[in-house]
Amino acid sequence: MRYTFFAVAVLLLSVSLRAKAQELYVFTEPASNMPAKSLGLRLTNEGIFRGKGMNRTIPEVMLSFNKELMIHVQGFLSDMDGNYRLEGGSVYAKYRFLSIDDAQRHLRMAAFGRLSTSRRPTYTEDINLEGDNSGAQAGLVVTQLLHKLALSGTAGYTRAFDRESRRLAGTTQPDEMITYSLSSGYLVLPVRYKNYNQPNFNVYFEMLGKTNPANGNSYLDFAPALQVILNSRTRIDLGYRFQVSGDINDRFNQNMYLLRAEFNFFNVLK
Amino acid sequence: MKTIKYFILFVALFAGRNTFAQQISKAELQVNGLTCSMCSRATETSLKSLGFIQTITPDLNRNIFVLTFKRGQQVNIDQIRDKVEDAGFSIGDLSATINFNRTVIDEAGMAQLGNMAFKFTNARSRVLDGPVTARILDKNFISPSAFKKNAAQLKSDSYLSGKGVIRGKETRIVHLSI
Repeated sequence: MRYTFFAVAVLLLSVSLRAKAQELYVFTEPASNMPAKSLGLRLTNEGIFRGKGMNRTIPEVMLSFNKELMIHVQGFLSDMDGNYRLEGGSVYAKYRFLSIDDAQRHLRMAAFGRLSTSRRPTYTEDINLEGDNSGAQAGLVVTQLLHKLALSGTAGYTRAFDRESRRLAGTTQPDEMITYSLSSGYLVLPVRYKNYNQPNFNVYFEMLGKTNPANGNSYLDFAPALQVILNSRTRIDLGYRFQVSGDINDRFNQNMYLLRAEFNFFNVLK
Repeated sequence: MKTIKYFILFVALFAGRNTFAQQISKAELQVNGLTCSMCSRATETSLKSLGFIQTITPDLNRNIFVLTFKRGQQVNIDQIRDKVEDAGFSIGDLSATINFNRTVIDEAGMAQLGNMAFKFTNARSRVLDGPVTARILDKNFISPSAFKKNAAQLKSDSYLSGKGVIRGKETRIVHLSI
């Protein structure tokens, strides 16, 4: 069964390859950074289809110190344990160490790390450092831009903190996870540029997976998304994520939508 | 006597500024590694922080920026390269309109204009006068593969480093093709 899904995934990716994208991925980060000394502000809402529905809000600040190094600082608020409350925060840093450019194409590689805290109790062996767990992650990203198509792959290792103290009785303990993803994006509109004010329209298809190295339990999610860029500065994302295969029980983000607004301020930091 | 001194000083200053202004008046910059208009806008915003740039006209489909420069200000092409790289991209081609003033290219291809030193890869023992469009061939002003090819052909230390010793002083040497 899993092989069928992988076959479908590879097929979808090759179809999007033959069409032509962009790399402002909705569910992952590309190896490219923001321009040096820039500021980005994001507001993300995740709607999780579980029970009568849950909502998480993620305010986020992004800063780039130079062309190689940038950070994201996130806060997490949700109603997942009753009342809507602040449940934690996260710092993500990315260092771009390879950049090979050519006309309308590039290859980039970056290393990233994440440190998260959350006061939520844990219910599952899955580790989600964007709200559900305290922990650390490290990994690599490779991104290739080919004119209007952008492809990206991520591999990382995640470890949960507070493994026992926050575990709800009778649930699996979160410990460690191997994480991986493949993303593709395509610039659909405009076909030809006239000026900076034309809206850009991008479509994305991402495959997101995790495996628990201790027991081999894993999952694979498909995550299609649409994106509009306004005035070459403001970005609106709408994505949907669903599990196509897996045996990790009680995951929170296995069936969810995401709505995000991002505002970029280029070259504003001294 | 004092008046004459001031007059000479004023003329020297004025003349100096004038040759300054005329060194590089325009440049066509092709940027590699980007497609979308958000990336172009980021590059343009980065370039705009350079005080000597007057106008930037983008061609978003070809990722070309036509730059004009302020009169009386020294144009620093290395800073242009740095700003493109700060935005996350790199220069694929930079062609500059350089205004020569009966400038002598010696038998080694070297020429001096104001305080800039040039080495021509395809011209020697001749005099340049008036505006000439030249491609900058230095490292990170062309694609890495083109630079490698040129380096193998030219076998020159100054080309590899973009520097050389002129009159006993280490100087930035810009390599040009016309």
